Amino acid sequence: MKTWRFYLAGFALLLAFDTVVQLSFKLTGQHAFPPEANLAWVARVFGHPWIYVALIGYVGNFFTWMSLLKHAPIGPAFAASHLDVVTVMLASALLFHEALTPMRLLGAGVIMLGIVCLAIAEKGSPQQGTAPSELATLDAMAGE
Amino acid sequence: MSLLVATLWLVNVTLDTAGQLAFKAAASDPHAGDGAARWRHMASRPWIWLGILAYVTHLLSWIAFLSLVDLSQGVLLASINIVVIMLAGRLLFRERLTPLRVGGILLVSAGVAIVGLSG
Repeated sequence: MKTWRFYLAGFALLLAFDTVVQLSFKLTGQHAFPPEANLAWVARVFGHPWIYVALIGYVGNFFTWMSLLKHAPIGPAFAASHLDVVTVMLASALLFHEALTPMRLLGAGVIMLGIVCLAIAEKGSPQQGTAPSELATLDAMAGE
Repeated sequence: MSLLVATLWLVNVTLDTAGQLAFKAAASDPHAGDGAARWRHMASRPWIWLGILAYVTHLLSWIAFLSLVDLSQGVLLASINIVVIMLAGRLLFRERLTPLRVGGILLVSAGVAIVGLSG
């Protein structure tokens, strides 16, 4: 019961970090608009406070993920870490007034279904087949 | 999707995958040893540095990408990374593709296609 609560709190924290990171990246991008392939653009990116919020969120995300992975089974952890697609969508609709078009919602639903399949596949795979989960782990660390 | 957005999306997926694979190569070196020696071994080889370089450039391409598309659309399109990394793992590290994994890969790809093609 106690571990169950620990996981739930951990994943909620992970989702919160992921969402903050992506929102901060979006705000950074908006302020550095338009994108250019030069150092002046990179300076614009790093001259904005939101990039630092994103980087702090990255670090928080990393440590939360690492402490969760010490015990959490990789399958559900993989699925839960990719739920950020849903929280980021909701947050963008609320904060940036982005349209949740029917096609985007359909796409999100199909993607989540795929992620659930991959999560179940991780759970049932033998030891030598678990390597993609390590990659998935790194992927989730990347916050996407 | 404009040409610039499509290009940034491809660059983004490529850099993310390259970074993950470089970290995987760095971490799974059987001659690396343990503890501090392992970190010294990894630091003396190119993989971990290539991974870091890929990640830093990925960060910039991701921000550039997000400045052109809605965030909700951007995160959905980026889900293709899961698929590309799994396929790359299959090719380079001979990881297994079970039917359930193939199903998951197809569903994620279909979802990304729906979002991408609807603009």
